[in-house]
Amino acid sequence: MNFITTYCHISEDHCAVNGEVLLTNESENSWIRTLYDHFKIDYSKFHKMDLMSKIGVIGSEILKSQNGKIVDYDDDEIALVFANKNSSANTDVKFQQSFKENGSPSPALFVYTLPNIVLGEIAIKNKWYGENIFVVSENFDPEFYENYCNILIPSKAMACACGWVNVLNDSIEAFFFFVEKEASTEDSLPLTSNNLLNLRKA
Amino acid sequence: MRIYIGAENIISPLGKSADDNFHALKTNTSAGKYFEGLGFNDETVFLMKFDQKDKTSFSQLVDDCLSGISGKLSGKLLSSEKTLLIFSTTKGNFESNFTNGIASFCSDLKEKYELKNDPLAVSNACISGVLAINVAADYIKPGLYENVVVIGCDVVSEFVLYGFQSLFALSDDVCRPFDEDRKGINLGEACAAVVLSKNVEIFKEQPLIYVSGSSSNDANHISGPSRTGEGLYRSVVKTLKLSGLSAKDIDFISGHGTATVFNDEMESIAFDRLKMNHIPINSLKAYFGHTLGAAGLVETAISMQSLRNNLLIKSLGFENQGTSKQLNVIEENSEKEIAAFLKTASGFGGCNASLIIKRA
Repeated sequence: MNFITTYCHISEDHCAVNGEVLLTNESENSWIRTLYDHFKIDYSKFHKMDLMSKIGVIGSEILKSQNGKIVDYDDDEIALVFANKNSSANTDVKFQQSFKENGSPSPALFVYTLPNIVLGEIAIKNKWYGENIFVVSENFDPEFYENYCNILIPSKAMACACGWVNVLNDSIEAFFFFVEKEASTEDSLPLTSNNLLNLRKA
Repeated sequence: MRIYIGAENIISPLGKSADDNFHALKTNTSAGKYFEGLGFNDETVFLMKFDQKDKTSFSQLVDDCLSGISGKLSGKLLSSEKTLLIFSTTKGNFESNFTNGIASFCSDLKEKYELKNDPLAVSNACISGVLAINVAADYIKPGLYENVVVIGCDVVSEFVLYGFQSLFALSDDVCRPFDEDRKGINLGEACAAVVLSKNVEIFKEQPLIYVSGSSSNDANHISGPSRTGEGLYRSVVKTLKLSGLSAKDIDFISGHGTATVFNDEMESIAFDRLKMNHIPINSLKAYFGHTLGAAGLVETAISMQSLRNNLLIKSLGFENQGTSKQLNVIEENSEKEIAAFLKTASGFGGCNASLIIKRA
């Protein structure tokens, strides 16, 4: 049995950590800037990322801030298990505009036109060399996370940083959670599809 | 538990079956051609793309490929509740549905083929195909499914072509993996599939055995490979460890070999660190081009044919050593007893994956 040991949500109007709303989007700063400042990210590479990668990096930083054990894993023990519905569509639209409307294809945008780039950005930020997978599905599929985390732990990973991160027309729907063998936090819940469905709604 | 892999199929500009494609490789035929004015700013580009006369839709490619594998299987495997379909792609059918080219295509597949289970779509850049095969085996091992059909497809779109042009990553003639004069990739299009199962009897032709596989991130750069080959090195170490085999059991390596300066250099460093650089290696990119989400499946399927036929396929485009660490690049098609091979892939996002397949 594996456990969900911490989780968080980010949308375009709020950010919740372990089910408690922590921030709402009402400041004069941009929302992403508010999150960046609040979670003290201080990472120069952050500013060149596309929106989905920024959300992914913020999500992984929130998980680390809530579960001190995450940083104790070896550099290849944490797998990244991510999914969404619209792949990299948010940046695909912008890249297509670059050559259809703005004169020439932008290489800086093109490199973000794959959904798994967010995994690369999280891996780089944390120096995590573990397993990576990005899956695309019409709906949030709790069984995928349950099955795949149970497959990875312990044969190919000791823990999984998981995410459902969908960004389209700059609207954000993100749910991140950390899965490990031990119930390392007070709020840990068994990794089941039902628990995932309930937490995602929280 | 033994996991069998077989029923491989490939639809590419070189042929409409695994046999056809392997036959083309036996005569070292490349699918590459010049396409006048197709690139951005009407540039002429060199691609492994279907001719206008053979042009089929994305969904037709997938249909043709699935119909080819069903002829190699007994019974109605695809629509069984014990079967999962895994779809490997970078962009899916996005020329028809720009913001939802993958998930919506999977829903269509489910309806059309009366699949009992929702297809799983793996979209992990250029390692998608190898990763999808690994996931298939991972799902069979604990008994979640008995059979998994893994199919990969990507086509050459204006979007992807212009993108690679903007990166100055395209070669203006046939690409030359691992060669000193290599100058970039060729884009290609293809659809390819393999079937994994715990049941040997579903295969009409003797299947092979899937041994193990893994993935690893470079944690270094999103669009450039690690200078130390870190992720590839770690993935191969892990795959070998899981396999119970050692490097001496690997008869050849099907590398990624995109023919960019940095990728091929990275692979040479990783295989040197692994002490596997004496093992014969090829890249198939000069035959098929880089078919992105299909590449891992195309190249695994061809390598399975190599194993079945005990024939190493020449790494087309290679003449002179062009990496800082020596590799044993296959220079001519050559007969060799093959018991096992290693397939590797690396891609944007710093991802790397590998797998081992052996004779049953």
